Amino acid sequence: MVVTPKPIDPRGPRFNQAVLTVGLVGGFLFDWKPVVPVFAVVLLLGAAFGPRYGPFLRLYAEVVKPRLAPPKELEDPRPPRFAAAVGVAFLGAATIAFAAGASTLGWALALVVAVLAGLSAVTGICVGCEMWLFAARRRGIPLAG
Amino acid sequence: MIPLRLLVVVVLAFGVLLVARLFRQWRHTVRTEAPATPLIPLSIRAGAERTWVIFTTPLCASCGPIEARLRARDPGANVVRIDATEQPQLSHAFKVRSAPTVLLADGDGRVQARLVGAEAFDRYVRNPA
Repeated sequence: MVVTPKPIDPRGPRFNQAVLTVGLVGGFLFDWKPVVPVFAVVLLLGAAFGPRYGPFLRLYAEVVKPRLAPPKELEDPRPPRFAAAVGVAFLGAATIAFAAGASTLGWALALVVAVLAGLSAVTGICVGCEMWLFAARRRGIPLAG
Repeated sequence: MIPLRLLVVVVLAFGVLLVARLFRQWRHTVRTEAPATPLIPLSIRAGAERTWVIFTTPLCASCGPIEARLRARDPGANVVRIDATEQPQLSHAFKVRSAPTVLLADGDGRVQARLVGAEAFDRYVRNPA
Protein backbone atom coordinates (compact mmCIF):
# COMPACT_ATOMS: atom_id res chain seq x y z
CA MET A 1 0.00 0.00 0.00
CA VAL A 2 1.29 3.45 -0.95
CA VAL A 3 1.06 5.95 1.93
CA THR A 4 0.64 9.58 0.93
CA PRO A 5 1.79 12.30 3.34
CA LYS A 6 -0.62 14.55 5.20
CA PRO A 7 -1.66 17.49 2.96
CA ILE A 8 -0.53 20.97 4.00
CA ASP A 9 -1.82 24.53 3.76
CA PRO A 10 -0.28 25.79 0.47
CA ARG A 11 -0.02 29.32 1.86
CA GLY A 12 2.83 28.18 4.13
CA PRO A 13 5.32 27.50 1.32
CA ARG A 14 4.16 30.67 -0.45
CA PHE A 15 4.86 32.72 2.65
CA ASN A 16 8.28 31.08 2.85
CA GLN A 17 8.92 31.91 -0.81
CA ALA A 18 7.84 35.53 -0.32
CA VAL A 19 10.27 35.97 2.59
CA LEU A 20 13.01 34.28 0.56
CA THR A 21 12.42 36.62 -2.39
CA VAL A 22 12.49 39.76 -0.25
CA GLY A 23 15.59 38.55 1.60
CA LEU A 24 17.56 37.63 -1.53
CA VAL A 25 16.56 40.78 -3.42
CA GLY A 26 17.48 42.92 -0.41
CA GLY A 27 20.81 41.12 -0.12
CA PHE A 28 21.47 41.68 -3.83
CA LEU A 29 20.59 45.39 -3.66
CA PHE A 30 22.96 46.01 -0.77
CA ASP A 31 25.52 43.40 -1.86
CA TRP A 32 25.18 41.59 1.45
CA LYS A 33 26.37 38.10 0.51
CA PRO A 34 25.79 36.30 3.85
CA VAL A 35 22.07 36.34 3.09
CA VAL A 36 22.64 33.60 0.50
CA PRO A 37 24.10 30.87 2.78
CA VAL A 38 21.65 31.89 5.52
CA PHE A 39 18.68 31.26 3.24
CA ALA A 40 20.31 28.08 1.93
CA VAL A 41 20.27 26.77 5.50
CA VAL A 42 16.70 28.02 6.05
CA LEU A 43 15.51 26.17 2.95
CA LEU A 44 17.56 23.09 3.80
CA LEU A 45 15.92 22.77 7.22
CA GLY A 46 12.41 22.84 5.74
CA ALA A 47 13.28 20.58 2.80
CA ALA A 48 15.18 17.97 4.79
CA PHE A 49 13.22 17.81 8.03
CA GLY A 50 9.76 19.17 7.18
CA PRO A 51 7.78 22.38 7.77
CA ARG A 52 8.18 22.21 11.56
CA TYR A 53 11.90 22.85 11.17
CA GLY A 54 11.77 25.58 8.53
CA PRO A 55 11.93 28.90 10.47
CA PHE A 56 9.58 30.82 8.20
CA LEU A 57 7.27 27.84 7.68
CA ARG A 58 7.04 27.60 11.45
CA LEU A 59 6.48 31.37 11.73
CA TYR A 60 3.61 31.05 9.25
CA ALA A 61 2.09 28.06 11.05
CA GLU A 62 2.27 29.60 14.52
CA VAL A 63 1.80 33.33 13.93
CA VAL A 64 0.22 34.02 10.53
CA LYS A 65 -2.04 31.02 9.95
CA PRO A 66 -4.11 31.39 13.14
CA ARG A 67 -5.09 34.89 11.95
CA LEU A 68 -6.29 33.67 8.55
CA ALA A 69 -9.39 31.81 7.39
CA PRO A 70 -8.95 28.07 6.84
CA PRO A 71 -7.37 27.24 3.48
CA LYS A 72 -9.77 26.56 0.61
CA GLU A 73 -7.61 23.70 -0.57
CA LEU A 74 -4.68 21.65 0.66
CA GLU A 75 -1.67 20.41 -1.26
CA ASP A 76 0.77 17.56 -1.19
CA PRO A 77 3.85 18.63 0.83
CA ARG A 78 6.33 16.78 -1.38
CA PRO A 79 6.38 19.16 -4.42
CA PRO A 80 7.24 22.29 -2.37
CA ARG A 81 9.85 20.33 -0.43
CA PHE A 82 11.43 19.24 -3.69
CA ALA A 83 11.31 22.85 -4.94
CA ALA A 84 13.04 23.93 -1.72
CA ALA A 85 15.70 21.26 -2.30
CA VAL A 86 16.32 22.70 -5.77
CA GLY A 87 16.61 26.12 -4.15
CA VAL A 88 19.14 24.75 -1.67
CA ALA A 89 21.23 23.41 -4.56
CA PHE A 90 21.22 26.81 -6.31
CA LEU A 91 21.94 28.78 -3.15
CA GLY A 92 24.66 26.28 -2.20
CA ALA A 93 26.25 26.76 -5.62
CA ALA A 94 25.93 30.54 -5.19
CA THR A 95 27.69 30.32 -1.82
CA ILE A 96 30.54 28.35 -3.38
CA ALA A 97 30.76 30.93 -6.17
CA PHE A 98 31.02 33.75 -3.61
CA ALA A 99 33.70 31.83 -1.75
CA ALA A 100 35.62 31.42 -5.01
CA GLY A 101 35.38 35.14 -5.70
CA ALA A 102 32.85 34.86 -8.54
CA SER A 103 30.36 37.37 -7.19
CA THR A 104 28.48 37.87 -10.46
CA LEU A 105 27.88 34.15 -10.87
CA GLY A 106 26.89 33.91 -7.20
CA TRP A 107 24.28 36.65 -7.48
CA ALA A 108 23.03 35.25 -10.80
CA LEU A 109 22.37 31.88 -9.16
CA ALA A 110 20.78 33.54 -6.13
CA LEU A 111 18.56 35.69 -8.35
CA VAL A 112 17.33 32.60 -10.21
CA VAL A 113 16.05 31.36 -6.86
CA ALA A 114 14.63 34.80 -6.00
CA VAL A 115 12.77 35.05 -9.33
CA LEU A 116 11.32 31.53 -9.14
CA ALA A 117 10.37 31.97 -5.50
CA GLY A 118 8.79 35.35 -6.30
CA LEU A 119 6.90 33.87 -9.21
CA SER A 120 5.55 31.13 -6.97
CA ALA A 121 4.67 33.55 -4.16
CA VAL A 122 2.83 35.93 -6.48
CA THR A 123 1.14 33.53 -8.91
CA GLY A 124 1.34 30.05 -7.42
CA ILE A 125 3.40 28.89 -10.43
CA CYS A 126 6.00 26.74 -8.68
CA VAL A 127 8.49 25.51 -11.25
CA GLY A 128 10.22 23.09 -8.87
CA CYS A 129 6.83 21.70 -7.82
CA GLU A 130 5.89 21.16 -11.46
CA MET A 131 9.13 19.24 -11.97
CA TRP A 132 8.22 16.96 -9.07
CA LEU A 133 4.64 16.54 -10.32
CA PHE A 134 5.88 15.71 -13.82
CA ALA A 135 8.13 12.98 -12.43
CA ALA A 136 5.36 11.74 -10.12
CA ARG A 137 2.89 11.38 -12.99
CA ARG A 138 5.43 9.46 -15.04
CA ARG A 139 6.17 7.14 -12.14
CA GLY A 140 2.54 6.81 -11.08
CA ILE A 141 3.06 8.26 -7.60
CA PRO A 142 -0.33 9.10 -6.00
CA LEU A 143 -0.78 12.65 -4.69
CA ALA A 144 -2.12 13.78 -1.36
CA GLY A 145 -4.55 16.67 -1.01
CA MET B 1 26.30 50.33 -7.99
CA ILE B 2 22.94 50.24 -6.24
CA PRO B 3 21.08 51.98 -9.14
CA LEU B 4 22.33 49.26 -11.50
CA ARG B 5 21.23 46.54 -9.10
CA LEU B 6 17.92 48.32 -8.63
CA LEU B 7 17.45 48.30 -12.39
CA VAL B 8 18.14 44.54 -12.47
CA VAL B 9 15.57 43.97 -9.72
CA VAL B 10 12.97 46.14 -11.48
CA VAL B 11 13.50 44.28 -14.77
CA LEU B 12 13.19 40.92 -13.01
CA ALA B 13 10.06 42.09 -11.17
CA PHE B 14 8.48 43.15 -14.46
CA GLY B 15 9.40 39.75 -15.91
CA VAL B 16 7.69 37.98 -13.02
CA LEU B 17 4.58 40.15 -13.37
CA LEU B 18 4.50 39.56 -17.13
CA VAL B 19 4.74 35.79 -16.68
CA ALA B 20 2.03 36.00 -14.00
CA ARG B 21 -0.26 37.92 -16.33
CA LEU B 22 0.33 35.51 -19.24
CA PHE B 23 -0.25 32.55 -16.93
CA ARG B 24 -3.55 33.97 -15.68
CA GLN B 25 -4.72 34.61 -19.25
CA TRP B 26 -3.70 31.10 -20.29
CA ARG B 27 -5.43 29.54 -17.30
CA HIS B 28 -8.60 31.59 -17.97
CA THR B 29 -8.53 30.51 -21.62
CA VAL B 30 -8.07 26.86 -20.75
CA ARG B 31 -10.87 26.96 -18.19
CA THR B 32 -13.39 28.74 -20.40
CA GLU B 33 -12.62 27.06 -23.70
CA ALA B 34 -12.06 23.48 -22.62
CA PRO B 35 -15.10 21.46 -23.62
CA ALA B 36 -16.96 20.51 -20.46
CA THR B 37 -18.84 17.72 -22.20
CA PRO B 38 -17.94 15.57 -25.19
CA LEU B 39 -19.55 15.98 -28.59
CA ILE B 40 -22.80 14.19 -29.31
CA PRO B 41 -21.77 11.28 -31.57
CA LEU B 42 -22.63 11.51 -35.26
CA SER B 43 -24.51 8.21 -34.98
CA ILE B 44 -27.00 9.99 -32.74
CA ARG B 45 -27.10 13.32 -34.58
CA ALA B 46 -27.62 11.67 -37.98
CA GLY B 47 -26.41 14.84 -39.72
CA ALA B 48 -29.18 17.04 -38.30
CA GLU B 49 -28.64 20.76 -37.70
CA ARG B 50 -30.18 20.44 -34.22
CA THR B 51 -30.46 17.34 -32.11
CA TRP B 52 -32.40 16.94 -28.89
CA VAL B 53 -31.18 14.01 -26.84
CA ILE B 54 -33.49 12.89 -24.05
CA PHE B 55 -31.94 10.58 -21.48
CA THR B 56 -34.71 8.58 -19.91
CA THR B 57 -35.21 5.64 -17.58
CA PRO B 58 -37.96 3.01 -17.73
CA LEU B 59 -39.80 4.65 -14.81
CA CYS B 60 -39.51 8.25 -16.04
CA ALA B 61 -43.09 9.53 -16.23
CA SER B 62 -42.32 12.93 -17.72
CA CYS B 63 -39.94 11.73 -20.42
CA GLY B 64 -42.64 10.64 -22.91
CA PRO B 65 -44.51 13.97 -22.76
CA ILE B 66 -41.23 15.88 -23.13
CA GLU B 67 -40.37 13.93 -26.24
CA ALA B 68 -43.84 14.60 -27.67
CA ARG B 69 -43.60 18.31 -26.90
CA LEU B 70 -40.17 18.54 -28.51
CA ARG B 71 -41.30 16.82 -31.70
CA ALA B 72 -44.32 19.14 -31.94
CA ARG B 73 -42.39 22.29 -31.04
CA ASP B 74 -39.25 21.70 -33.11
CA PRO B 75 -40.25 19.57 -36.13
CA GLY B 76 -37.02 20.35 -37.99
CA ALA B 77 -34.84 18.93 -35.26
CA ASN B 78 -33.69 15.40 -34.68
CA VAL B 79 -35.16 14.10 -31.42
CA VAL B 80 -33.50 11.03 -29.93
CA ARG B 81 -34.58 9.20 -26.82
CA ILE B 82 -31.94 7.18 -25.01
CA ASP B 83 -32.62 4.83 -22.12
CA ALA B 84 -29.80 5.65 -19.69
CA THR B 85 -30.01 2.19 -18.13
CA GLU B 86 -29.33 0.57 -21.48
CA GLN B 87 -26.48 2.90 -22.42
CA PRO B 88 -24.56 3.43 -19.19
CA GLN B 89 -21.31 4.43 -20.94
CA LEU B 90 -23.02 7.17 -22.91
CA SER B 91 -24.86 8.35 -19.79
CA HIS B 92 -21.60 8.43 -17.87
CA ALA B 93 -19.87 10.37 -20.65
CA PHE B 94 -22.55 13.06 -20.52
CA LYS B 95 -22.75 13.00 -16.72
CA VAL B 96 -26.39 12.00 -16.65
CA ARG B 97 -27.45 11.64 -13.03
CA SER B 98 -31.23 11.72 -13.34
CA ALA B 99 -34.02 11.47 -15.88
CA PRO B 100 -35.09 13.37 -17.78
CA THR B 101 -31.82 14.97 -18.82
CA VAL B 102 -32.23 16.77 -22.12
CA LEU B 103 -29.28 17.90 -24.24
CA LEU B 104 -29.51 20.19 -27.26
CA ALA B 105 -26.66 19.75 -29.74
CA ASP B 106 -25.78 21.84 -32.80
CA GLY B 107 -24.83 20.43 -36.21
CA ASP B 108 -21.28 19.74 -35.02
CA GLY B 109 -22.43 17.85 -31.94
CA ARG B 110 -21.57 20.59 -29.46
CA VAL B 111 -23.92 20.65 -26.51
CA GLN B 112 -25.69 24.02 -26.49
CA ALA B 113 -28.11 23.42 -23.64
CA ARG B 114 -28.43 20.93 -20.83
CA LEU B 115 -31.74 20.65 -19.04
CA VAL B 116 -31.98 18.41 -15.99
CA GLY B 117 -35.49 17.61 -14.82
CA ALA B 118 -38.95 18.38 -16.19
CA GLU B 119 -39.07 21.79 -14.51
CA ALA B 120 -35.85 22.90 -16.18
CA PHE B 121 -37.29 21.78 -19.50
CA ASP B 122 -40.49 23.77 -18.88
CA ARG B 123 -38.49 26.87 -17.97
CA TYR B 124 -36.38 26.51 -21.10
CA VAL B 125 -39.43 26.13 -23.33
CA ARG B 126 -41.00 29.25 -21.81
CA ASN B 127 -37.78 31.25 -22.13
CA PRO B 128 -35.21 29.64 -24.46
CA ALA B 129 -32.70 32.49 -23.94
